[in-house]
Amino acid sequence: MLALLYALMTLIVAEGGAAAQGTRHLTYRLVPETARPAPGGSVEIALVATPEAGWHGYWKNGGDAGVETTLAWTLPGGVTAGPLRYPVPGRLIVAGLMNYVYEKPFVQFVSLTLPKGIAPGTTLPISVKADYLVCTTEICVPETQTLAIELVAGDGAIDPATRARFDQWRQALPKPLGSPATYQIEGSAFRLGVPFPTDAALGEAYFFPLASGAIDYAAPQSVARAGDRLVIATKKASVGTAPATLEGVLAVGEGRGFALTATPGVVPAASGGSGAAAAGWSTALIAFAGALIGGVLLNIMPCVFPILSLKALSLARSGESEAAARRDALAYTAGVVLVCVGLGAGLLALRAGGATVGWAFQLQDPRVILVLLLLVVAIALNLAGLFELPTPRFAGESGAMGAFGTGALAAFVATPCTGPFMGAALGAALVLPTAAAMLIFAGLGLGIALPFLLLGFVPALRRLLPRPGAWMNTFRHILSVPMWLTALALGWVLGRQAGVDGLVIGLAAALLAGLGLWWTGALQAKGRSRAWAPGLVALVVALGAGVLVKAAPASAAQATAAVPGAEPFSEARLAALRAEGRPVFAYFTADWCLTCKVNEKAAIETATTADAFGKGKVAVLVGDWTDGDPALGRFIERHNRAGVPLYLWYKPGATDARVLPQVLTPGMLAALPTE
Amino acid sequence: MRNLFLAAASLAVVVASPGAAQQQTGRPAGNFRLTDMDGKVVRLSDYKGKMVVLEWSNPGCPFVQKHYASGNMQATQAKARAAGAAWLTINSGAPGKQGYMTGPEAKAWVAKEKAVPTDYLLDPAGRVGRGYGAKTTPHVYVIAPDGRLVYQGGIDDKPTADAADIAGAKNYVLAAIGEVKAGKPVKVAETRPYGCSVKYAG
Repeated sequence: MLALLYALMTLIVAEGGAAAQGTRHLTYRLVPETARPAPGGSVEIALVATPEAGWHGYWKNGGDAGVETTLAWTLPGGVTAGPLRYPVPGRLIVAGLMNYVYEKPFVQFVSLTLPKGIAPGTTLPISVKADYLVCTTEICVPETQTLAIELVAGDGAIDPATRARFDQWRQALPKPLGSPATYQIEGSAFRLGVPFPTDAALGEAYFFPLASGAIDYAAPQSVARAGDRLVIATKKASVGTAPATLEGVLAVGEGRGFALTATPGVVPAASGGSGAAAAGWSTALIAFAGALIGGVLLNIMPCVFPILSLKALSLARSGESEAAARRDALAYTAGVVLVCVGLGAGLLALRAGGATVGWAFQLQDPRVILVLLLLVVAIALNLAGLFELPTPRFAGESGAMGAFGTGALAAFVATPCTGPFMGAALGAALVLPTAAAMLIFAGLGLGIALPFLLLGFVPALRRLLPRPGAWMNTFRHILSVPMWLTALALGWVLGRQAGVDGLVIGLAAALLAGLGLWWTGALQAKGRSRAWAPGLVALVVALGAGVLVKAAPASAAQATAAVPGAEPFSEARLAALRAEGRPVFAYFTADWCLTCKVNEKAAIETATTADAFGKGKVAVLVGDWTDGDPALGRFIERHNRAGVPLYLWYKPGATDARVLPQVLTPGMLAALPTE
Repeated sequence: MRNLFLAAASLAVVVASPGAAQQQTGRPAGNFRLTDMDGKVVRLSDYKGKMVVLEWSNPGCPFVQKHYASGNMQATQAKARAAGAAWLTINSGAPGKQGYMTGPEAKAWVAKEKAVPTDYLLDPAGRVGRGYGAKTTPHVYVIAPDGRLVYQGGIDDKPTADAADIAGAKNYVLAAIGEVKAGKPVKVAETRPYGCSVKYAG
């Protein structure tokens, strides 16, 4: 009787325990990917966690507070459990303290490995005691939950529906980035440099460090893209030291993220950042001097020389007063400097906005090239004497407004010529603080304006100019030649960017504009009124053609180097090609994987490789893991890689693929078919 | 007079930097002024020349309860005071938040828990907590007799809420006190504090 009572009591206590489960603020559920794992294999166990509304669980590093989840397993002999894997966490700041948390249901994973010797049909009781912290913004409760499932040793087959569900859960796990990151601590600043291709999509990025001592968790993080690098800047932790190998997760928005490892190194501050030290200003002054000299040199470039010459000669011709000469010189300088600074500001703004642009960024758009082409053709025709500009308009005319307009025009037209000369100085501008960078753009403008400025302010120089005379008209006609050369260069750029179609549209537009201006010139010669009508109409129509010009999808250079006959990867296609007895080169890449992109440019998409693969009849399969396709992920994992890049070589007749090194050379690939 | 000026200046430093942990290990710990559970004004400088332990506490936090219910915190307090240290428990919980206490409530709590701190200080505005960069409860600081901060972090090396873990844990506070008394440098001077977040205002 007593024993019965005791049993009853234990039952009630047990019931009480079960009831306590109902009051849990976070409940775990164990779900195996298969209930019949194969001996010698492994099985994924999902820990499906559901926090109550308003409650959150913690990431491995909880941030300023919080505690990681600990698991104590009770497993049958020989079965081992791997580490607990966490999905990409979220952030929650409470009263100035940062918490790295999960506010929605989330799934963690553990991999169980079975020993080889288990007889099929053996039951495997699996039990785990989970200790974890669950909090609201007000209170924290440590909870414990013991979970048990029973597996049976079997064939390891996974039900497709379960696999699909697991694949969906696995999307939230951070993917290994594949490229090593670098971090630098400078004073109280922490900067992380992450290799990340310039054209890879990026949402709201945030770095979650696994160890404390690296960053001040609650400090905001600034993210900048500098070419193929992501620079995350924030405050260093005020207490503790960062580990030599800093692991963490780079979240890129929408619950996606990358696992990365960073080691100490040099991480330059990104452009526009305030992190640049005072030393930056001495660099800025040197670059300013460089920009100034470069600007002066630009005056003899074909883009600028004709405009400057005309302006200078107009001074000589008119024999203007000192005051007028100075006024013109200043107005011209203002026009040049304003346009240079304006283009520079646009460039910095675009870079700060995340776009990857360089100097002459406006020239990356073929429509802008077309406008410039038309402008240059019109100027060349004007210099050649086909038509005259009405007064008071800019180039060649006097007056402060005319001088200002000439300056602006000179600076804008000068940009195509700046690239090769100014690359170094302008490159420096992009990594300097904004104010210093603007100084460099201003220096470039000042350099362009300097000769004219001197002419305006030093009468002795003006007297050196040749006497005006009939020769000036001839000289003007000759000056149209460098302008035509500029037009030719622009035509080449347009053709590169927009292909043959774009080039023909551009030339047709230039022809149309030329005919219109010719007509205008003819009317002008007869002294007719409304001489400008045909020219303006032709120009407007020609500019309208710009709408038709589109950037060609792939530049010619890329097209010739791409691997001929590359197909999307699938295991079925791979099996079929191997059954045909063809050698197969399979590579796995992702838009966000910089190592992959480097290998593709330097080794895979080269003429050497294309030749060798063509001769060897090598089939090429490309697996794109940008979106983390789970089927591809499993295939990659089977080759002992956690992610991309992965390069596989299937020799005809070989049973297994050869895993190639992560850094490829064209020679290595070219040697494959003949080995 | 000069001391008062110094104290005011240090207070200004602490107050001027809310939200940022400005207390560097090895540097002089910032002075502060708080009201204790008896309504008396207490300054850190009152304990000049003595070793001082600061313990951030929140009676509602399970991690704090782990150390009080097991008697571990009281034992640590007793040992620290036996070694000549002053023990100041500080509550930075804001009114309306978990663990906030008035003076009389704090007095009753100390009696009920049989806690033996030198004093229990109330910091409802969170100024001192933020000035010290206190993140969790518990979060412990040890200040050497010369005024330098020699330890900041967790009470021990077992970041759990399970009282059973105390037996095997290394108590960092007692270790630091022992090393300071022996004239040795503190071997583990900074650790990651663990527990609930401090329930600051705002």
